[in-house]
Amino acid sequence: MSTDTNELSVHASGVEITGLRKSYGSNEVLKGIDLNVAPGEVVCLIGPSGSGKSTLLRCVNLLEQPNGGTIMVGGFNVTDPDVNLDKMRQQVGMVFQQFNLFPHLTVLENCTISPIKVLKRKKAEAQKVALRNLERVGLGDFGDRYPDQLSGGQQQRVAIARALSMEPTLMLFDEPTSALDPETVGEVLSIMKNLAQAGMTMLVVTHEMAFAKEVADRVFFMDGGVVVEEGKAVDVIGNPQQPRTQDFLRRVLDPTHVDI
Amino acid sequence: MAMTTRQRARMSKTIQIAIFIIAIIALVLAVDWNKAIYAFFSFDKLGPMFPGMILVGLKNTIFYTIISFAFGLILGLLLALMKMASFAPYRWFATAFIEFFRGIPAILVLLAFGFGLPQAFGTQWPQPVNVMCALGLVSAAYIAETLRAGLQAVPKGQTEAARSLGMPAWRAMVTIVIPQAFKIVLPPMTNEIILLTKDTSLAFILGASMAQYEMTKFGRDGISQIDAGITPLVVAGLFYLVITIPLSLVARKFESRAAKTKR
Repeated sequence: MSTDTNELSVHASGVEITGLRKSYGSNEVLKGIDLNVAPGEVVCLIGPSGSGKSTLLRCVNLLEQPNGGTIMVGGFNVTDPDVNLDKMRQQVGMVFQQFNLFPHLTVLENCTISPIKVLKRKKAEAQKVALRNLERVGLGDFGDRYPDQLSGGQQQRVAIARALSMEPTLMLFDEPTSALDPETVGEVLSIMKNLAQAGMTMLVVTHEMAFAKEVADRVFFMDGGVVVEEGKAVDVIGNPQQPRTQDFLRRVLDPTHVDI
Repeated sequence: MAMTTRQRARMSKTIQIAIFIIAIIALVLAVDWNKAIYAFFSFDKLGPMFPGMILVGLKNTIFYTIISFAFGLILGLLLALMKMASFAPYRWFATAFIEFFRGIPAILVLLAFGFGLPQAFGTQWPQPVNVMCALGLVSAAYIAETLRAGLQAVPKGQTEAARSLGMPAWRAMVTIVIPQAFKIVLPPMTNEIILLTKDTSLAFILGASMAQYEMTKFGRDGISQIDAGITPLVVAGLFYLVITIPLSLVARKFESRAAKTKR
């Protein structure tokens, strides 16, 4: 465990996905996915665009409604029609590619609005938690700013602090660095790494192979709506067995390479 | 004798100005100024119109505008949400309502409330209620479309982020989407209120008691009771501007503030 004095106690929960299916009309984008994440584990989903990674992630907190299969998060059966959706989502933090900060609220208000309105926390208490999380992402002095006054990397760090302020037991990251300027990617990744070391359960869709290799416990390579290859991060990224994985990684890791 | 392009442009401008000046002179000479001033500007004879024009007319115009807008806003918001609902019959109802009340003249709705309801149900509502309902229904149709456009202009990611933070759908709507939509709909909504202010002039058709007169009614009575041409109507018109121009200014101030901060 990290020795960071700024540490939050993390109560982590796992994810169990079995036989997950999702179609848009006749287009089946998830063709029976099985995926387990143990409490405190970090799992990265990699693969070409259109492979279904983001859809899979969005099914976990039901931003997309699956057509089949089951998803268990902590004690919640997400796919049960009677599940208390809002209670479940309070435990699942989500970070989006486009940040989706609330532009009409200050940075601090972004982090306190849901704890106050949904968890019914007292304002002072919510602000204390929010400030601690903003400090954790290195933005303790930015509480009074508005999102449009921040750089992309700073906005994404606020988005992480906002999600953490709900004290989730699982964090979902949907390509969190894909919309960032290259020089701000590192600051977001390093915060995610700290979070992983603190013991948070994380499911991350990413194109950052170095991050996946270093931080993830396991990596799933998806293509065409199925899991093609899964295993320890070093194995899947360092020594892929499947031709499709090898082909994808060759193109991602060496973009100028052309097969003749 | 060839002219350069610039010379030709200057010549054209000179001719336009000349025509304009000649037209003005012709108008000034043609008009019988004594009659015109009598018809439009006999302000000195309007004593009998005051202070009723202000204490009753202006007050009632503002009052009718506010109650009609309040009713129209609530109903319009409801219709906008219905039009975006996933339950199809809600959408059908909202669409039918909007198309109907947007498509017929407001005066017909007003007449229906003033004369139709008493015959159909044997109830006679007070004039303010009739005006509020009739103009409220009509403006709700317009407001609904304005609000729907505004709500849909807020990026979908905002709702997704709010829902991901555990907010129920209504809470995400109230706390996150509506405040952002408000800034988007401010300019068209100002238009809506100004149109509504003018539409309250239709209330005269319901022939109310003196205490319920609005400004147009005062103007019309003024023509028949005072020997001042249509000056009473000119005054009524000026008083509408007294309401609508400050409204535009306030809205513009709001807008420029919103534009400056981009939020």
